[in-house]
Amino acid sequence: MAVVIARRDPLTQAQGVEPGYAQTARRWPSQPLARRPHTASELSGPQPVARLLPLVRGDLAGHGARRALGQLIRLRVRVVDEDGAPLPGTVVEAWHCNAAGKYIHPNDTHDAPADPNFYGAARLVAGDSGLVELRTIKPGAYPVPDTNGWWRPPHVHFSVWGRVWLSRLVTQMFFPGEPLNEADAILNAIHDPGARGRCIARLVPSTTNELIYDYQLVVRGRKGAPGMP
Amino acid sequence: MKRLVPTAEMTLGPFFPREFAEGANDLAGAAENVVEITGRVTELDGKPLDNVILEIWQADAGGRFDNPDFAGWGRAATDAQGNYRFRTIRPGAIPGRAPHVNFLILYSGLMRQLQTVMFFEDSNDPVLQAVQPSGRSRLIARATGKNSLRFDIRLRGGEETPFFDD
Repeated sequence: MAVVIARRDPLTQAQGVEPGYAQTARRWPSQPLARRPHTASELSGPQPVARLLPLVRGDLAGHGARRALGQLIRLRVRVVDEDGAPLPGTVVEAWHCNAAGKYIHPNDTHDAPADPNFYGAARLVAGDSGLVELRTIKPGAYPVPDTNGWWRPPHVHFSVWGRVWLSRLVTQMFFPGEPLNEADAILNAIHDPGARGRCIARLVPSTTNELIYDYQLVVRGRKGAPGMP
Repeated sequence: MKRLVPTAEMTLGPFFPREFAEGANDLAGAAENVVEITGRVTELDGKPLDNVILEIWQADAGGRFDNPDFAGWGRAATDAQGNYRFRTIRPGAIPGRAPHVNFLILYSGLMRQLQTVMFFEDSNDPVLQAVQPSGRSRLIARATGKNSLRFDIRLRGGEETPFFDD
């Protein structure tokens, strides 16, 4: 069955130039984006990506003397399409900063300390029910350079392939109950409260020292006959 | 029927891990008829951008998207001067489409992925024709050698690259 990609809904997706996020006005195109017909080129995609890219690090928290600093967490992320059908075999990349708000990237000039036992990058493949699990530590908040006091709330970056070229998803997951969520220019670029709320993970009750969060990533695309609206 | 809303896209941010950005820009491997695509990614005022992630998706030389020996997908990152480089093969035509390479751009300050398409020559391709006539030439790569092409991407302002919504 062919995959159909519907147009983006402006309420549930950011629109480009966002107040409070100055770089968007230097980088988002000034001209309207063109609409194009969807052909085999846009409605196919690399399969399986897991054959092209090595899977790395399902556990960023470490153990014993090699344990990363911070609150131990487990992210249970389910990848589905718009029909709710799971996407086993799809590749998910995740990256986030350490508990002090510092990324492993050399371009991060924030003067927070690095954690020698933390390397914040994982590439995982979804199992039969579309589930990926990442054991890690909760990332810290950090200030955004050259802004008037903007601090990013704790968040985890995700990159997902989905079924076809147009279903590629790059996004960020947030944590519930974080005061910084209320003013974050990136989270609040999503105007629909429901869609914004779905970018916040759900804390699952547990009795261990590991906080468990459930999250769902919905990639674009549903099954349908080609040419259907 | 139940219909879920796609998750909101958000910016890649400036710190996409180097480890993920590197090592995937050679699609050609040991293939023959290799073509090199290079270019520079710039923002408003022409300033080059560092660590922009570009991904490409293309057909094989015969116009197929399901060739087990040619994945058709690659990823590159720009350097501090804004330059990227792919090593690939020239794709064949597919029914109704001229030879082309799909580009996806991810970066800090882009709340959503940007999509554009590189063509090898002016043609009657329906995707190229979907662009305003004044912008079409900016989707056609410039030959800089026998097997090398230049495809610059200007995100905003000046000679702005045409992008596609879907």
